[in-house]
Amino acid sequence: MILARLALRNLLRQRRRTALTLMVVIAGFLALSLAGGFMAQTFQGLSDAAIRGGLGHLQVMPPGAMEGDEAQSLDKALPDGEALAARLRQDPAVAEVLPRIQFMGLLSSGAKSVAFLGTAVDPVLEPRHMASAEALNNGAKATGGAGSRWISSDATAREVILGVGLARTLGASVGSSLTLMSTTRDGALNAVDVEVAGLQDLGLRELNDRFLTVSLSTADQLLESAQARSRLSVVLKRPQDITRAQARVQALLPGTEVKPWFELASFYRQVKLLYFAIFGFMGMVLFLVVLLATANTLLMSVMERVREFGVLRAMGLQPRQLLGLLQWEGAFLGLMGSALGLAATLVLRAGLNALHIEMPAPPGTSHGYELDIHFVPAVYAIVALGLQATLQVSALFPGLKAARLRIVEALRHV
Amino acid sequence: MVGAVRPGNLESRAPLGAIRQATPPRACIASGYTGFMLQLDCITRAYELGGERAGVFGVSLEVPRGCLAVLAGPSGSGKTTLLQLAGLLDTPDEGEVRLGGETVSALPERARCDLRLRRLGFVFQAFNLVPVLSALENVMLPLQLQGVPEPEARLRAQAALERVGLSDRAHHRPGQLSGGQQQRAAIARALAPDPLLVLADEPTASLDHAHGGPLMDLLAELAAERGVTFLVASHDPSVIARAHRVFRLADGRLVEAT
Repeated sequence: MILARLALRNLLRQRRRTALTLMVVIAGFLALSLAGGFMAQTFQGLSDAAIRGGLGHLQVMPPGAMEGDEAQSLDKALPDGEALAARLRQDPAVAEVLPRIQFMGLLSSGAKSVAFLGTAVDPVLEPRHMASAEALNNGAKATGGAGSRWISSDATAREVILGVGLARTLGASVGSSLTLMSTTRDGALNAVDVEVAGLQDLGLRELNDRFLTVSLSTADQLLESAQARSRLSVVLKRPQDITRAQARVQALLPGTEVKPWFELASFYRQVKLLYFAIFGFMGMVLFLVVLLATANTLLMSVMERVREFGVLRAMGLQPRQLLGLLQWEGAFLGLMGSALGLAATLVLRAGLNALHIEMPAPPGTSHGYELDIHFVPAVYAIVALGLQATLQVSALFPGLKAARLRIVEALRHV
Repeated sequence: MVGAVRPGNLESRAPLGAIRQATPPRACIASGYTGFMLQLDCITRAYELGGERAGVFGVSLEVPRGCLAVLAGPSGSGKTTLLQLAGLLDTPDEGEVRLGGETVSALPERARCDLRLRRLGFVFQAFNLVPVLSALENVMLPLQLQGVPEPEARLRAQAALERVGLSDRAHHRPGQLSGGQQQRAAIARALAPDPLLVLADEPTASLDHAHGGPLMDLLAELAAERGVTFLVASHDPSVIARAHRVFRLADGRLVEAT
């Protein structure tokens, strides 16, 4: 412990230099941990958007549903989808099962017809677990327009919610009457008249221009789908147990394919990869800056203490103990830097979050979001460990230099 | 207290250099002579200095236990080089260094470090106390490096400081001590681990006459009282006057031993 005490005293002796070195470490910690908190917010937002946007935690689909193209609606479907959903609801790990039909066709206002991509959902269950109805009902984030509401739970009601771009193309608004056209499971052309219940801003322009939502009963009538469902979205009681739940559901429904949400949310995965690449590169650069800056100051400190090291070696200090002394100095710099960096991060995070800064809309989306840098202890731990390792490495070269000093030359050093 | 010494079987060895003192001086005998603590046998260490060959050449000498021996000579005569070789800080090109009869110059660095830590003490001209430690902590340092528990190291360091008359300045840092006080602290640091041999390089050179004389008196007292052997490099007449034995060097060669 005498070496540790000596190392600490040496750091305190050169207060200004130690403070400068600590500032580099603190700045590194701050940048990396705030970036980590921002990434966590982004990933959380994207995963919420994917899960509550319709995927659920697990998706049950017919085998091979992800391969090839669908020639027509319900070409690849679970023929007894409603029965499977009923069976799944009995499982204690499952909070709810939301059957869905994905279909396509033409939407006509009489004067104009536009191709659409549709999703049919349960109008009662969907608002309880998914975000679409929420946005419509509370009017948040500038949804489609005044008077928008969620589709009626009445099985006889024929209503549709349009993406704002699709409505604009057709010149439709809430209350407009339109005609949905598609092919039934047998390949026959069918049509249903619907009333526009609401307009929806889905965040992505491409989706707003093509997307619509109807109730399962409306889709059943249009597609003559009977019990068939394209997918079952499964909401779990404990999302953290997703892997175990996936295995359970797969065992329960052997003739189906069960996938977790993150395998299907390609946008989420792409953004995650992109962020890891960007922030990974930034992190490497920051670690390198910290490495060079601290190695430089430690080396300067060694050069100023050559005579002192000569005396310690003359007294019998082994070269490896001298190396250890410098490692202790690196360790203390890392510990102090991380502790102060953590404090600075928490203060700055609270300050930035309190400012309610509106972030610009990400590429491909139509609205921005409020900055909310997350508190992520795992990120702080990883950053602290990374910086600690960097400091130990940066102390290695000066330590080796000190350990290799020839005693007689060191004692002559002025 | 001095640690156990393995006496060298000097009688059976080949004669050393031409100038040598086989018989210990009276003062050394009085302090309990049991053999030669330090023997340098035909030591040569050469190096280039300003384009010229410098160093020490074929020097042999013997220092009995409990003796205050002085390496005297003008600047550049090789005093410091010889002291560093005797202190295992450097390795001779030729010849042997024996400590308590044991050849130690050929030992690997790790063993030399261990010997320096446990058997040797150093006092430097510029004191060279660790500036971030107090006088007490400086004296405790070699003990703690040896693995002596802190409470015991503290007691021994306090005793060493008391012996050199510095107990009232124990908690002062080197920067808060005068030159004489710093050198006393350095002597306490060298003596605290109970070394067999203390090597001092120009210990009075940074002190005025008023402090230098009493410091040498202290070394002489310690040599007599504790049986510690001192080898001091100095050209200060007041130091030479207090020595039990004097080795005069000139141009890297031993020219006189008295």
